Amino acid sequence: MRIGIVCPYSLDVPGGVQNHVMDLAEALIGLGHEVSVLAPADDDAELPPYVVPAGRSVPLPYNGSVARITFGPVSTARVRRWLARGRFDVLHVHEPLALSLSLLAVLSARGPVVATFHTAMTRSRALAVAQGVLQLVLERITARIAVSALARKVQVEHLGGGAVEIPNGVAVAKFADAEPLPGWPGPCGPGRGGTLGFLGRFTEPRKGFAVLRDAFVALAPHRPGLRLLVAGPGDLADVHEGVPPELREQITFLGRVTEEEKARMLRSVDVYVAPNTGGESFGMILTEAMAAGATVVASDLDAFRRVLDGGRAGELFPTGDAVALRHTLDALLDDPARRAALSARAREVVEAFDWPTIARRVLEVYATAIEATDGRVLDEEWIGPT
Amino acid sequence: MPGMWWVVGLVAAVVLVSVYLTWTAARVDRLHARVGSAARALDAHLLRRAAAAAVLAEDRYSVELYAAARIALDAEGDEREAAENDLTRQLRRTPLDPDHPAAEAVIAASRRLALARQVHTDLVRDALSLRRRPLVRLLRMARKHEAPRYFDIDDPTLNTRPGLSVG
Repeated sequence: MRIGIVCPYSLDVPGGVQNHVMDLAEALIGLGHEVSVLAPADDDAELPPYVVPAGRSVPLPYNGSVARITFGPVSTARVRRWLARGRFDVLHVHEPLALSLSLLAVLSARGPVVATFHTAMTRSRALAVAQGVLQLVLERITARIAVSALARKVQVEHLGGGAVEIPNGVAVAKFADAEPLPGWPGPCGPGRGGTLGFLGRFTEPRKGFAVLRDAFVALAPHRPGLRLLVAGPGDLADVHEGVPPELREQITFLGRVTEEEKARMLRSVDVYVAPNTGGESFGMILTEAMAAGATVVASDLDAFRRVLDGGRAGELFPTGDAVALRHTLDALLDDPARRAALSARAREVVEAFDWPTIARRVLEVYATAIEATDGRVLDEEWIGPT
Repeated sequence: MPGMWWVVGLVAAVVLVSVYLTWTAARVDRLHARVGSAARALDAHLLRRAAAAAVLAEDRYSVELYAAARIALDAEGDEREAAENDLTRQLRRTPLDPDHPAAEAVIAASRRLALARQVHTDLVRDALSLRRRPLVRLLRMARKHEAPRYFDIDDPTLNTRPGLSVG
């Protein structure tokens, strides 16, 4: 079938929504469908063949981060041209309620529209538009997907109407087969050694890096050879802030990493720590760490607990509690059998998040949207071989 | 000439109002058409699930499941929702191994049914809320269409693997 996907944020900047859109598009193409992705990007940017650039984007502070978006009459014209040329069986927009290409596409579309909601934003924050306009947009969306239970809850409680929960996918093979960085993770035995990992914007308070840093500073003097591998955009000085000078050389900072380096980094740690204090609508990084075979320790947030199968596929600790985290890490680094049991369960759980599996679920939603628009009922063969 | 501006303003207002009315009427028609399509799709998926359940029942020699599937296939009107809920309950009681083709067919049909049910419910809600708008009621824009009805059944999803629930 012909599928048109709209990504609201610029592909020039890495981000969760952008990665989701590209991975989904590639998984759908892998299942034999024709996919075109419309996204903000410079006309001369290097893009995969299935992406149609919709022009330069402008920065806009949004939901705590800076998003680069495209909006306006020129964009509207481009969206319409893309829709007219594409003759899509289904249009799939992401984050349609922000001022973006997605919103323009929803308002210009005629056929079946599927929308994916990524952030668990509340109405007051996300929508500076009147109820009437909101209703108009929602009315044109035939089926809604939420990537997390929290995003879905917002749908039900604030926007009225249900949403299918289909989580973010993860390219399991890419992570499971990655080569660890040379010399990592290194030795790990009772009372000594072990490698901890953290990836993300460590300067953003809600990512909780400070919690991990405190736990590391408390644990390192009692565990000779303990190492911390950190990746993410920012400066070394910010990583080192509050760490005594003698412990600093036990921290390795990789800076911003590519997708490929990320996979290698996750393969290089004994324990991946997700100390987030909130705001995370879905534990994407957790599924990636699980696919890479790392043991996961995460804050006891709803989304994390669900991904970690209630604590059977990874250890949970009370959110924001550095002391509890320290003890959890110490016990886990001393217990290879427990780590192996957690990673084994994690590998089973993460299979449900593999992209081809997720893409088939999304195709079922497409089929439902098409059925509700023109009444023809689509059968299993149509979704592709399973 | 002030009189002329008055006329221009009035004409513009009439044009705007009539554009808005035409557009709203089209919106009413479109939503009702979608509810109709969604209801047909929901009906098809209910039949598919019941058929898949009957196949599974024959395979398992389960008289109760076969009866529930038969009743769901034959039920009409007000009895249908209860019959479908009975079938859902019977299926929940049946152990389903996703690797078995007959069981897998039932699980897949239930998943598609859950999606169809949800889209139908959302469309009915949108259509009903549009019908309640004062302007739509005053001008009886929805008179061509019967008021859509919810199809009120329990979530038919089976075998909820982590993170893949519907509701």
